[in-house]
Amino acid sequence: MSTPLGLRRAVLWRARRAGASPAYHALTVIPVLLLVGLFTLFPLGYAAITSTRRVLLTLPGSTPFIGLRNYAQVLHDGTTHVAVTNTLLFAALTVPSVIVVGFLVALLLHQPIRGFGLLRALVLLPWSIPLVSAGIIWRLLLHGDFGALNGLLYQLGVVHSYVPWLSSPRLAMQAVALAHVWREFPLPAILILAGLQVIPREIMEAATAEGAGAWARFWHILLPWLKGPLLIILVYETMISVSVFDLVYVLTGGGPGSATTLFSWHTYTSTFTFLNLGHGAALSFIMAGALVAFIALTLRLIRVEARSA
Amino acid sequence: MQPSIRPGPWTRRDFLKLAGTYAACGGLGGLGALARPAEAQPSPVHLNFMVWSYGIETIQDNIKSFQQRNPAITVSLQDTSWFNYHDAMATKFATGDAPDVAYSSDHWLREWVAADWIAPLDRYAPELAGAQGEWAPYARQGMTLGGHLYGLPYYADLIIFMYNAKTLKRAGFDHPPATWEELAAQAKTIKDKGLSEYPIDIPLKKDDPWTIEIFYSMVYSRGGHMFDNADAPVFNAPGGKAVLALDWLRDALRNKILDPAVLESAEPDVVKTMGAGQHVFTVLAKYNLAELNAGQHAQKGNFRMALMPGDSHSTVGFVRFYALTKAAVTRHHTEAAARFLQYFGGKTDGRYLVPQRWALEKGLGFAQLPLYDDPQIKAAINAWGSVALERQQAKLAAVKEGLTPWWGTWDVYAREQIGNVIVGNVSSQQAIKNMAAKWSELK
Repeated sequence: MSTPLGLRRAVLWRARRAGASPAYHALTVIPVLLLVGLFTLFPLGYAAITSTRRVLLTLPGSTPFIGLRNYAQVLHDGTTHVAVTNTLLFAALTVPSVIVVGFLVALLLHQPIRGFGLLRALVLLPWSIPLVSAGIIWRLLLHGDFGALNGLLYQLGVVHSYVPWLSSPRLAMQAVALAHVWREFPLPAILILAGLQVIPREIMEAATAEGAGAWARFWHILLPWLKGPLLIILVYETMISVSVFDLVYVLTGGGPGSATTLFSWHTYTSTFTFLNLGHGAALSFIMAGALVAFIALTLRLIRVEARSA
Repeated sequence: MQPSIRPGPWTRRDFLKLAGTYAACGGLGGLGALARPAEAQPSPVHLNFMVWSYGIETIQDNIKSFQQRNPAITVSLQDTSWFNYHDAMATKFATGDAPDVAYSSDHWLREWVAADWIAPLDRYAPELAGAQGEWAPYARQGMTLGGHLYGLPYYADLIIFMYNAKTLKRAGFDHPPATWEELAAQAKTIKDKGLSEYPIDIPLKKDDPWTIEIFYSMVYSRGGHMFDNADAPVFNAPGGKAVLALDWLRDALRNKILDPAVLESAEPDVVKTMGAGQHVFTVLAKYNLAELNAGQHAQKGNFRMALMPGDSHSTVGFVRFYALTKAAVTRHHTEAAARFLQYFGGKTDGRYLVPQRWALEKGLGFAQLPLYDDPQIKAAINAWGSVALERQQAKLAAVKEGLTPWWGTWDVYAREQIGNVIVGNVSSQQAIKNMAAKWSELK
C-alpha cells in the first residue's frame, strides 16, 4: 500500500512522463482553446459576418450579403461624425484629468501621515461601485430640478438659480466627464502610489541635499521612474474613455439632443434601438480597430522608450 | 400509571391484515375510477410575463388571483424600466429569451409584427377578439394591424394638459389657458409675480418614450398633423404646426418660463416637481393627475386638467396592451397564455376585473368603455379629475400617425432633433427637414 508521500511521487512521475508527450500538451490546451473559441472567436467571427450582411430585426429571414456597405453607411452617417467628435472630446477631457487627479492623490497618499493607511483603502471606493449605481448617484446629485449639488450651491449663494447640468449641451458633457473622472481616478492613484513606493528614498534624499527643488525632483526623478506605469495607465484609461457606455446610459441617454452621444452609445442605439445589427457590428469593428491601432502605437512607444533607456 | 403507548412487536398476522386493507382500498378506488368517466387533468404550464416597472405589487397580486383560478398555470414575472423596455425586449426576442406574454405599446406594434415577435390574437385565440366592440376606437386602432388584433388593453389613456389651480388663482387667473400663446402669457405673469421661477415643466428627456407622444399632442392641439393616411410626412409642409410647436418650446425656454431641466426630466421627475409646487403647468399622461391629487405631494389636491391648449384641443390617445408572443405559440403555451390575457385584459365572470382595479387604485385610463358606467369608477375619477372633461378630451383624441415598422427608429431620431432645437443646436425648420429626411431614408 502506498504512503501519501509515495502516492504524490507516483502522480508527479506520471505527470512528468505524460508531459513529455505531445498528446498530453494537446489535452491540457484543448479545454482552454474550446473556451476561447466559444466565448471569443465564435462571437468575433459571427459579428464579422453580421457586419457584412443587412441584418435588420424588423426584416427577419432576409440577411443578404452586402459586402462593406454597412461600413460605408455608418461612416457617412452624420450621427457617427457627431459620436466620433464627442468621443474624442470626452477622451481629451477625461484621460488627462484622470491621470492628473490620480497622480495628485497618489502623491498625497505617499506622505508618511498617520491614518493614511485607511485612506488608501477608502480611495478605492468609487472604483468599486458599479458604474450604473455611480451613474444613478451622479444623476441625483446633478439633476437640474432637485439635484443635491444645486441645493448646496444655492444655499451657499454660489448660484442664484438651479443650474441644468444635464440639460445644457456643454455642461452635460462636462458632467459626464466629471462623473467618469470620479469613478476612474482610484486605479491610477493606486498604481502610481505603488510606483512611488519603489523609488529608493536615498535618491530623493540625495537630490534634496544637492538643493533640487520640488519641481526638479518631480521632473527628473519621479516622472522618469513612473514612465512605465503612466504609459500603461494612459493606454488603459484611453480604452475606458473611448468605450464608456454605462454613465451615458444612466445620466443623459446621449442627450440633450446629441450632446453626449458617444461612439459606444451610438453603437448601442444602432443595434438595440434601431434594431440594425449590421450597422451595430460594423460600428463595433470600427471602434475595436481604432483601439487596437492606438494600443499598438502606444506599445511601440513603450518598447522604443525601454530600448533607449 | 399511564398505559404504555409503545406498540407491541409486529406479527406476520398484523402485516397481512394491513396489506389486505390497503389492497381492498386500492381495489375499491380502482373500481371507483373505472366507474367514473375520466376527468381531463390539464397539464401544468409555466408562463413568463414581461412588464415595465409600474405597480409591480398590484401585478403580482393579480397573478396570484389568476393562479388561484387556474391552478394548472404558473406565472413568473419579470420587469424592466419603461425607459429601456423596448431595447430590453429587442434583446430578449433576438436572443431567443422571449416571454410568453408581454406588455407592448402602439409605439412598437408595427415593428414587433414586422419582426415576427408577436402573434395575432384573432388567429391564435379568436375568443379574445370578441370584446373589441366595447373598446375605445383609438385603443382598438392602436392594437390592430392589417386587420389583425395583436393585444388586449392593459390601459388606454390620453395626453392631457394639467395645471395647479391654486397657483393660477393666486396669479389672478380664473380659467386655464385655452391656447399655447395664452399659456405663455399666463406663465410670464406667474413668473413676474414670483409664484414660480419656471412655471412650465414638460418631460422631454431624450430616452423617455413619452417625449414623442407629448410632441404629437402639441402638434395635434394646434390642429396639425404629422403624417397623412399613406404614412407620408406632412409635418414638414409649409406653415406646418410642428415648426410652431418647436418654436414655442424654444421660445419658452429662452423666455425662462419653461424649466431649463426639461431635457433631463422624465415623467416621474416632472410629477415630483409639480407635486412640490415648483411648476404650475405641464403636459402628461392623464393617470398622473390621480397621482398628483391623491399621492404624497405638498400640492396634493390642487391639480386640475383642462383641454389641451390650441385651436383644435386635440391630443394623443394611446394604448398599452398585453401581447401574445410568437415564442408562446411555438412552445404550445397559446391556450394558457390566452386564459391569462382574458383575465388581465378581458372579462372574468362578466366583469373587467383587472382593468377596473387599475382604474380604481392607480387612476389608469381604460379602453373598455362600459367601465365609464361603473359608479365606483365614476366616483374614483371625480375624486381626482373629471369624468365629463375626460370624456370631452377623449372625443378629441387621435392615435399617433405614421405608425410603420420604421416609426420606432424615426421616433428616437425625432426626439433627438426636438432636444437639438430646444438647446439651440439647430433651427426648428432644420430639425423638421432632418426629421423628414430621416423618414425617407428609413422608408
